[in-house]
Amino acid sequence: MRLLLIEDDLQAAEYLVKGLRENGYEVEHSPDGRDGLDKALSKRYEVIIADRQLPYVDGLQIITTLREKEDRTPVLILSALGTVDDRVTGLRAGGDDYLTKPFAFAELLARIEALRRRASAHNETTRLKVADLEIDLLTRKAYRGGRSIELTNKEFQLLEYLMRRPGQVATRTMLLEKVWNLHFDPQTNIIDVHMSRLRNAIDRGFSKPLIHTVRGAGYVLKE
Amino acid sequence: MRLSSARLAAAFVALFAAGVTVLLTAVYFLTARVLDRDVDAFIRAEVDSLIDDYVQGGLLQLVATLHRRSDNWGRTGAVYLLTEANGYPIAGNLAGWPQEVTTHGDSVEFDIDASGSGGAARHPVRAQTLYLPGGRRLLVGTGILERRRLATRLRTAMVWGIGSSVALAALIGVGYSRRVRRRVADIAAACRRIMNGNLAERLPVESSHDEFDELAVAVNEMLDRIHRQTDLLQTTFDSAAHDLRAPLYRARVRIEQALQHEDWSPASRETMEATLAELEGVQRTLGTLLQIARAEGRDREVTKERVDLADLAREMIELYQPEASERAIGLEYVGEDSVALEGNRQLLAQAIVNLLENALKYVPAGGRVSVAVRQSAHEAALVVSDNGPGIPEDQRERILQPFARLERDRAQMGSGLGLSLVASVTRLHNGSITLEDNRPGLRVVCRFAL
Repeated sequence: MRLLLIEDDLQAAEYLVKGLRENGYEVEHSPDGRDGLDKALSKRYEVIIADRQLPYVDGLQIITTLREKEDRTPVLILSALGTVDDRVTGLRAGGDDYLTKPFAFAELLARIEALRRRASAHNETTRLKVADLEIDLLTRKAYRGGRSIELTNKEFQLLEYLMRRPGQVATRTMLLEKVWNLHFDPQTNIIDVHMSRLRNAIDRGFSKPLIHTVRGAGYVLKE
Repeated sequence: MRLSSARLAAAFVALFAAGVTVLLTAVYFLTARVLDRDVDAFIRAEVDSLIDDYVQGGLLQLVATLHRRSDNWGRTGAVYLLTEANGYPIAGNLAGWPQEVTTHGDSVEFDIDASGSGGAARHPVRAQTLYLPGGRRLLVGTGILERRRLATRLRTAMVWGIGSSVALAALIGVGYSRRVRRRVADIAAACRRIMNGNLAERLPVESSHDEFDELAVAVNEMLDRIHRQTDLLQTTFDSAAHDLRAPLYRARVRIEQALQHEDWSPASRETMEATLAELEGVQRTLGTLLQIARAEGRDREVTKERVDLADLAREMIELYQPEASERAIGLEYVGEDSVALEGNRQLLAQAIVNLLENALKYVPAGGRVSVAVRQSAHEAALVVSDNGPGIPEDQRERILQPFARLERDRAQMGSGLGLSLVASVTRLHNGSITLEDNRPGLRVVCRFAL
């Protein structure tokens, strides 16, 4: 599980590297764009985390160069630029995800995890199953323990997102981005209300809850 | 504006036409009078010489002179007639006393039948009459055909003169008013483009060095100055915001790291978590401010795509529906099915979200919030209405400014940036925002030009 962090803010990088190592990742750090690109091209990494504004070669250029060389390593862009447009151009340049500084460390962890497992998540399947919870992607119906569960369209999308990543933390920001296509954080914790409704539909009346809250991070679906 | 320049031109044309008419009419009448006087002087000289003849040689000499002169008609156009008291002609070249002539002393004008080379023709004559002793009457006159022709020609020239000068004035007037209208329209269009975000554009300066150029140059200098100041402000703000983010980022990472490992007492942990939440608030405020500054600043280009505003509004309502029902607030969409416009989906979504959050925050339980998107010929309107406490009329303009809050809401959570961002996003989409009285409650109307 090797990560490459390209970040010119050395102090912040030091903390990030430390935090990531403590979470079981093997991390290499590169202080500028040129060195980072060299490393990215010479070794294989699972996920590259690159600051958008870097000395010599900026984050978007690194992505472009990698993609030109048919290197599909997922890249997570960190940026101090915060407008919606920056995010959109970052993603259009071929970045796989985009995180605006300052971010919660849990958010970074969740996103790295999502990028690592992304490759396996997108196989062509029409049914997803976690424990006794099952959804049919064609009929858009959900069943638990063989019993049909009534879900609204958005609740189904939310559940599908979680079921495609069992055991992975999904942060509120990730859910807003992926399920609602909103790239900004509303003031109120609007996601929590939706999750509690979904939880009511899925877990009420069953002894083993499947949706769990991860304190300070988000939600996870697991046995 | 269009009216005023056209009206000015019309007034100018009318004034000019009146002046020319008065002038040419005066010239005509003066000329006619001078001609009449000439004729009268000629006749009087003739009369005087005939009276001399009468005084010196009596009636006989007068008749002799008249006989001699009567043959001159063809050459001088002179007319003579001497009659007895009973009207019987004694001498002269007129067959009888003309009927029209009854008065005496003043000049009279009448027509006579005269046989010219081309046959009989009416000839205008101007004459004077006087009584001789014994009741005899003398008439002395002269043909005034030439004078009449001159007068007619003068009149024709006058009419043409007035006509053509009025036409010319009208042409100049229309041209002038068109030019004024065009220049004003050019300047207005340029101003509008500048206000809509093309801040680098300047008013057009033609090389005619007229008043409009003078105005344009002055306005352009003012725009340059404002531009430099906004630039400075924006750069300062951008670097400040940027420089604040790095330490914020580090502080955050440090606290999080510390929280993960050390064995903190619950109290310390709580303090640190509260600090993290505060940092997040600062970050959020900073981000929103940066976004407002970007939207209002000169780099206003933002990626736009076809967005169905009605669709987006319904999606956001769906997002907030559970929250609204938890607070026992009715939230519904009441607008048209589909209203498409060119816009930035994320920014428009954020504007709707901010309006919904505001409404849900201030409307008490049991209240209702409705959202509508409507389309007319030239604009799309997003209307968010509630029956909450509303905003006093004198505060509606101010509340759109960043950090502006109502006195009664001081205790409420919030940054005071929500509505301000909505206003910025609306302006960024060439729109305008108004806050209205929903009787009771608040109605926010964002109009977007299509």
